[in-house]
Amino acid sequence: MLELFRNASDPVAIRIVGVGGAGGNVVDRIQLDGLPGVETAVLNTDSQALGASVAQRKLQIGEGVTRGLGAGGDPELGYQAVEESVEEVRELLAGAGVVFLCTGLGGGTGSGAGPMVAHCAKEHGAFVVVFATLPFSFEGKRRQMQAQEALDAIRERADLVVCFENDRMGGDVGTAVQEAFAAVDRLISRSVRSVAALVRRPGLIRAGVQELRTVLRGRDARCLFGFGSATGPNRAHEALEMALKSPLMERGKVLSGTFDVLVNVSGGPDLALREVEVLMNELNRHIEDHTRVHFSLATDSALGADLEVVIIGAAGQEPVRHSSAAQTLPAVAAPAVPAREPAPHPPRNSEDALSEPMPPAQFAADEPVAPSDSAEEIRRRAREEREARLAAARNRTGGGSRKEAKQEQMQFEPLARGRFEKSEPTVVDGQDLDVPTFLRRKV
Amino acid sequence: MSTERIVVGLEIGTSKVCAVVASLRREGEIKILGVGQAPSRGVRKSEIVDFETASKCVREALVDAEEKSDVEIRGVFLAVSGGHIKSFNNRGIVTIPEDRGEIYEEDFEDVQAAAREVTIPPENSFLLSLVQHYYVDGQDGVLNPVGMMGRKLEADFHIIHGVSTRIKNSLRCLAELDIEVEDVVFSPVAAAQVVFDQAQKNLGGLMIDMGGGTTGYVLYADGAMKRSGCLSVGGDHITNDISLGLRIPMARAERLKVEEGSVAIHEVLPGEMILLKDETGFAGREIERAMLNNIVHCRVRETLELVRKDIGDDRLIDFLGAGVFLTGGGSLMHGMDGLVQEIFGHPVQLTHKPTVSGVTSAFDDPQLSTAIGLTKYAHATQEQKPEGWLKRLLPRIRLFGR
Repeated sequence: MLELFRNASDPVAIRIVGVGGAGGNVVDRIQLDGLPGVETAVLNTDSQALGASVAQRKLQIGEGVTRGLGAGGDPELGYQAVEESVEEVRELLAGAGVVFLCTGLGGGTGSGAGPMVAHCAKEHGAFVVVFATLPFSFEGKRRQMQAQEALDAIRERADLVVCFENDRMGGDVGTAVQEAFAAVDRLISRSVRSVAALVRRPGLIRAGVQELRTVLRGRDARCLFGFGSATGPNRAHEALEMALKSPLMERGKVLSGTFDVLVNVSGGPDLALREVEVLMNELNRHIEDHTRVHFSLATDSALGADLEVVIIGAAGQEPVRHSSAAQTLPAVAAPAVPAREPAPHPPRNSEDALSEPMPPAQFAADEPVAPSDSAEEIRRRAREEREARLAAARNRTGGGSRKEAKQEQMQFEPLARGRFEKSEPTVVDGQDLDVPTFLRRKV
Repeated sequence: MSTERIVVGLEIGTSKVCAVVASLRREGEIKILGVGQAPSRGVRKSEIVDFETASKCVREALVDAEEKSDVEIRGVFLAVSGGHIKSFNNRGIVTIPEDRGEIYEEDFEDVQAAAREVTIPPENSFLLSLVQHYYVDGQDGVLNPVGMMGRKLEADFHIIHGVSTRIKNSLRCLAELDIEVEDVVFSPVAAAQVVFDQAQKNLGGLMIDMGGGTTGYVLYADGAMKRSGCLSVGGDHITNDISLGLRIPMARAERLKVEEGSVAIHEVLPGEMILLKDETGFAGREIERAMLNNIVHCRVRETLELVRKDIGDDRLIDFLGAGVFLTGGGSLMHGMDGLVQEIFGHPVQLTHKPTVSGVTSAFDDPQLSTAIGLTKYAHATQEQKPEGWLKRLLPRIRLFGR
């Protein structure tokens, strides 16, 4: 059924909205790099920055309050500005099924207007994904605090928050300032594209929003994002290398501290299973045994001979699984949320209930928005129901009958490498030479 | 004694650490005084993975060598290897100043520096650059251009480089034992010194050194090193394959490989079985010889094919006048010569080269060719340039930061 939705003529309408200066930069970057089938828009208090933007739609907010001069780092001013222009903001967001909100927190417009914009998008019943950056630490305690407050406010309203720390993205010490900022923009742009692809691209093995949410749960979760792409005979190995070299990945070291990791491998039609195997085997060496790998696999003829790897994880994840789910559910205005609770299905274990893949089409605007008070009611009921199911599941496993159906999670057991299990793999022409030749050649 | 110099070649291999103590005489003779060996642990694919254990093994081997040769070891020539080591050929060009017109020795350094002006990854450093040919004003075949008149000096270099930190691991190991490393040499290059004589280098020859963790190769043509390289696949992989394929423990697989291993898949009689005896001599299970040979054959064939592919240039291989030389522990495998001949199309020689005096039995063992090669390498570098400017020419990785 999911595939039907996806192949329908109208894919989920994605709108990318940049709020404030930093958000605008990211959106410009995305616009310049080109992401087909999305609309881009920027909102800003600063008319000069707005003028320089290349986004498809631009909206000047709070002309009365700031006279087009920007919010000057004051979130209060940013908030007033968006209050003033709330109608225009609503109009800008109307009709979008999925809203990607890019913003830099810590300043005036991003921190002040960001939560409000997220709220407006939510009102329209859109699925809201926020890409937020936290300020560099040298920008001062005050800005950090403003950023954290704004982030909390956004978390309450958005469906999914992907949070980046500028400190960790800027590259090496020697990098020029301009280059550092550009690198940050590029990285976020890259991640927006990847998330958009995850949401839209038909997958052989799909991981979607729900997996993303599991991966990024937790109040202090900071996104670890790695992207790699390569061509040639060794592309699987090289793409993974590149992904692990991404600035947020710290060469894959941080992955060992995560509990859930989402890995998306996509390639052209010639993507070979062997390549996927090599790649996952190699990745498995970077993660702990208890880490759950949400694996997704997609082929896209547009990629040609490229193989792309996207690794998304979060530092500071919370190990407990179900509490976080409740936390990420928006607490204030969440009209569309209950609809997402899957219809009663055969009892499964707790993990399954959460990682059930969700078609984004379900959050699309064509679904009528339920009035919020009854939504509150439905949500409460849904939560109780799940609570009960969890309890039942726990009892069942406690009772010793371990018969629960395992969800289709591809676990790539390292193919027999014997004594080379722990050593660095020797990959030549995409083949892991540590695996016995007779096994690889199937003699 | 002034004409004699003691050198020690040390190889920290995947299966064994061995140190060869030799005295160099002026007449070009190398006398082996003693060979110290210790089984190696903590080394995988020719690179140290367990520092402390590996240090212990190195110490054992050095102590063994000291006892046998009655020499106190202070400095060693160290062989390094590993999949990270890469090589390429590059040409350096320098223009001789107008007013001079004559080529001085300094120009060699300039031309070498010019040849090295290529991008290698920032984490890598040069291990060796060897002159292949000189050209003066485009004139080919100049052997020694010093003193010649010319405007332009060109030189082809074979350049070997590797990841610095990984090379330094081996160096640190010796630094801890307070032993000076006189030079670091890429293992196959060292082994080639003992395998080839000058005539064979001129004719053109390929040496393949199948060690425990890696397989190295060096190709000579026209008296110059044209290709060298290293593949992180070796005898350990064969053992591992046997162990996984026949489901027997590693130690048993190793013994089986040494005793019964063969790459000759066509010599097997149908249904021929090998009886695995356990430690007490009781009969264990039986395995099919065909299966064992098949496993070994697949691995060795693949490895050799990869070497051939790595060399890349088929013309180089076609014109090997001296043929293919096999050394390293892997060359002891039954049927190797046939398989190598099949893949490379040249007659194959297993290396036992008695060009040195002393404990000659050591030379019958191809497992020692790298360590002995180191002493020859030391000798060659001494002989060619006795004044020591070679020390500047041959780049040496500055070791421990003492």
